[in-house]
Amino acid sequence: MTRNTDTGDDSGDALPDGGVAESGQRSGFSPVSALNERFGSDFVESSQFWLPPFLLVGLFVYGAIIWNLLISLTDFTGFGTPDYGDLDLEMYSRALADSGFVDAAINTFILLVGFTLVTLALGLGLAILIDRNIRFENTFRTIYLLPMSLSFVVTAQFWAWMFNFNNGVINIVITSLGFGRVDWIGNPDIVLWAVMFALMWQFAGYAMVVFLAGLRAIPDEHYEAAKVDGASTVRMYWRVIIPQLKGSTISASVVLMVFALKAFDFLYSLVGGYRPPNGADILATKMVREAYANLNWAYASAVAITLFLMTLGIVGPYLYYQYNRGNL
Amino acid sequence: MAAAAEGGTRSKCSTVGPAATARAAEALVAAFDEEYPDVEHEFNPIGGGGNQNLDAVVANRLQNGDPPSSFANWPGPNLQRYEGVLGEVDDVWESEGFEDVMVQEAVDLHQYNGAYRAVPLGSHRLNCLFYNTSVVEEAGVDPDSLTSVSALIDALETVQNETDAIPMTHGASGTWTTTQLFASTMLGQEGYEAYMNFLDGSPDEAAVQATFESLAEILGNYINEDASSIGLTESNQNIIEGNAAFIHQGNWAAGAYRNAEDFNYDEDWGFKTYPGSEGMYMLHFDSFLYPSNNPSPDVTDQFMAFAGSEAAQVAFNQYKGSIPTRTDVDMSEFGPYLQETQQDFAEADERPPNLQHGLGVPSETMTALNDVISSEFSGPYNVEAAAEGFVDAVSN
Repeated sequence: MTRNTDTGDDSGDALPDGGVAESGQRSGFSPVSALNERFGSDFVESSQFWLPPFLLVGLFVYGAIIWNLLISLTDFTGFGTPDYGDLDLEMYSRALADSGFVDAAINTFILLVGFTLVTLALGLGLAILIDRNIRFENTFRTIYLLPMSLSFVVTAQFWAWMFNFNNGVINIVITSLGFGRVDWIGNPDIVLWAVMFALMWQFAGYAMVVFLAGLRAIPDEHYEAAKVDGASTVRMYWRVIIPQLKGSTISASVVLMVFALKAFDFLYSLVGGYRPPNGADILATKMVREAYANLNWAYASAVAITLFLMTLGIVGPYLYYQYNRGNL
Repeated sequence: MAAAAEGGTRSKCSTVGPAATARAAEALVAAFDEEYPDVEHEFNPIGGGGNQNLDAVVANRLQNGDPPSSFANWPGPNLQRYEGVLGEVDDVWESEGFEDVMVQEAVDLHQYNGAYRAVPLGSHRLNCLFYNTSVVEEAGVDPDSLTSVSALIDALETVQNETDAIPMTHGASGTWTTTQLFASTMLGQEGYEAYMNFLDGSPDEAAVQATFESLAEILGNYINEDASSIGLTESNQNIIEGNAAFIHQGNWAAGAYRNAEDFNYDEDWGFKTYPGSEGMYMLHFDSFLYPSNNPSPDVTDQFMAFAGSEAAQVAFNQYKGSIPTRTDVDMSEFGPYLQETQQDFAEADERPPNLQHGLGVPSETMTALNDVISSEFSGPYNVEAAAEGFVDAVSN
């Protein structure tokens, strides 16, 4: 592949319209130059670098998503090959009529919103405290971040023990404070919040680190100016500092929400199976159960697509926001 | 297994089985090596999640046209989910004369669509009530006198009043323990016919409801308070440590007693057929299924023949805590408990299939039943909704 300097120069500084017309007249139609002029000066020449990963990602990520979508439109169950001749939305209407699916979708949504908001708030609080030039700052930072480095498999077992009705540390603490014991795992009204609490414990440290980086990026002058103007500490953070953490908040919440959607690992490890305690079923566990316990591939694919759309609904606006700011 | 044939060509093949039975699997492999020293093999134990991981691995391999030579699973209606991907092993059954040495239920349950699809390796019993001897003695309860579910409930009440122990320990972090307790309770309380009608898809709603009423009484009053946050292993530990009087389980629970120190059959722990189901043996089979499109048909046939042989069944079952499915096996290498179990098995009036472990209903029905337990019967216990859900799930 040799570099065509003529065309390269043309499209490099000329307006696209004029460039196309000129090069068309000068050298006849050439796909390489046409592509280069359309997409940028080195489009074809650089393709050897970006094309292989582009195709691989396209095939294995986007191709798989599209294939999954196709399967969700079939009636594929059991072993064999799906019949692509008869596509309809039956699996989606079945999902809407399935109370188990609706419950799982609601739980997923609650987990998503509740976990993300509380974790952000907690992470911000911790970050502000750590940022107050306290002693042993690094030690505290490490302690708060440590849970995130642990695998869900480990933390789920910790929490299963801690939530134990009889001898779990949480019930021991609250009974010693004079309250009655709580059935954290067995009560369907509570278990989702218990799971959320455990996830929050695990990821608050991550939110803290993101916010801490955001806080450190704010010039000291802003703090000093607020103080000179006589703002109280609370007022200073609320009016001056926190509004500048928008970027950190958005990036942290996207990561947290994606983690919330992946709470499958935690729930799986908590009970050692695909069926979470009553009241804590989420779309991810429902999907795996339908696929592998019942071999309802099409239905499981429909659940997967629903989960995918939820994820897209979260990540899409974020990408758009970043795009508008010129970061993409 | 990969066969080393003369001239050095090898036909590769592999067998997939559950990891929970690692020691039993090792014994099985060792016995196979002794029988067929020329055959190389690859035995992949896969563990976790009550066979769920095994199911997922097998499902993926079958779906991708890369079946193992054989894999461990349950026969019976459970075979339905492998529709279209199982081959037949009629010739193995015939050449080995399995029909003459296996119980009739094994013969029936290993066929699907008119052909044998699998070979049994061993059997567990489901309608078991185990107890800690010193706890029931302290309570003044004679387990052998418990011949009905209501007598069991009275005994649980006595244990509660007379001792500090948990009357009946239950690990309910998964729903399967409750589903299998339903099966034994229904068999014991409503009888063989009602239970079989339930499995066959023509359930008597009143019988199902009455079963759930008894279950609600047991689970609502006499089990450990932390049931929902523990599983079978921890629950069973309550029996070993003397914290609980009774446990209902398949007799794999007894495997843990044998591994516990100073915890001996008849002295420290005892067995009682689940009250009301005396004379019956609720069946479970560990079997090897034969996938079609088999990567090593000849060696797999050898392996299937071996799985049903006396050598294999003795080697495997004494460690798994189960019994041979052949009735012509010398039981001298087994402990006294399994010897009794084998006798019950051979002499049972009825051998109803289990509900939760593949022999009674297809896997999708089983999932539906467990959905009902999860949403209606994992505390608070909603008898009517659970009964309705169960009837709907099995009805044809």
